[in-house]
Amino acid sequence: MQMSVEELAGGVTKVVLEGRLDIAGAQEIDLKMNVIAGSKKAVLVDMQKVSFMGSMGLRALVAPAQAIKGRGGKMVLFAPTEMVEKVLKASAIDAIIPIHHEFQSALAVLQ
Amino acid sequence: MSLDSASTNEDTLTLESKLSEILRIPLWLQSLATRDGISERTQFGMDLCLEEVLSNIIQHGYARTPHRRILVRYGKPQEGTFTLIVEDEAPPFNPLLFPDSAIPHPPGQLSHGGRGIHLLKQFADTLNYEQTPTGNRLTISFVRPESIPQD
Repeated sequence: MQMSVEELAGGVTKVVLEGRLDIAGAQEIDLKMNVIAGSKKAVLVDMQKVSFMGSMGLRALVAPAQAIKGRGGKMVLFAPTEMVEKVLKASAIDAIIPIHHEFQSALAVLQ
Repeated sequence: MSLDSASTNEDTLTLESKLSEILRIPLWLQSLATRDGISERTQFGMDLCLEEVLSNIIQHGYARTPHRRILVRYGKPQEGTFTLIVEDEAPPFNPLLFPDSAIPHPPGQLSHGGRGIHLLKQFADTLNYEQTPTGNRLTISFVRPESIPQD
């Protein structure tokens, strides 16, 4: 799992994930996501290139999302693939972390 | 079937009780998918179900004890159905009896194990559990999309 971070205008942090968010992938991003969760308040996670997600991957997203929310911030998931979105919705994660397929609507949630 | 006597062929995978062994699953499924024409959607479901079942066996059934074995068998497509059979030698555990924990619990409070079993139930078309003389056998089936009658 590859992870890159970009600061956008308006104080939004864009995290781009690429690869499998399986057990190994979750471990690879855990520390970096925790750092972001502790320092950023408007986070967009670009899921377009996430090819797989399991329950460990869900935890790797939920924990930072809850931490950001606890600090008064917000996190959104942008454009997961059909099957990854099915995993997210089956676990009701979309109730914690909104999912948006339009970039501008995702940004609007954060601003 | 004793895990010791399992034959080794391309449709059978014998895994050690280490989480890193689960990384062998995607490539194995990809070769089966290419050979038998398994759709990407079905392959995703198979991948997900195996990840959840195997991680639960390793972390809970075997309590992370090393050098234990798990057998994963792929059943050739029959009557429009793909089948995976997972056998272990762990204490009896029927995941089908595990409470469905995704709803109504708040999602943030879901246990990892509960979430994994919920995903198993959501993504498999049928599940069948048997307690064996030495452990557990879980049969996970997926219906080929083109086998589903269209109204």
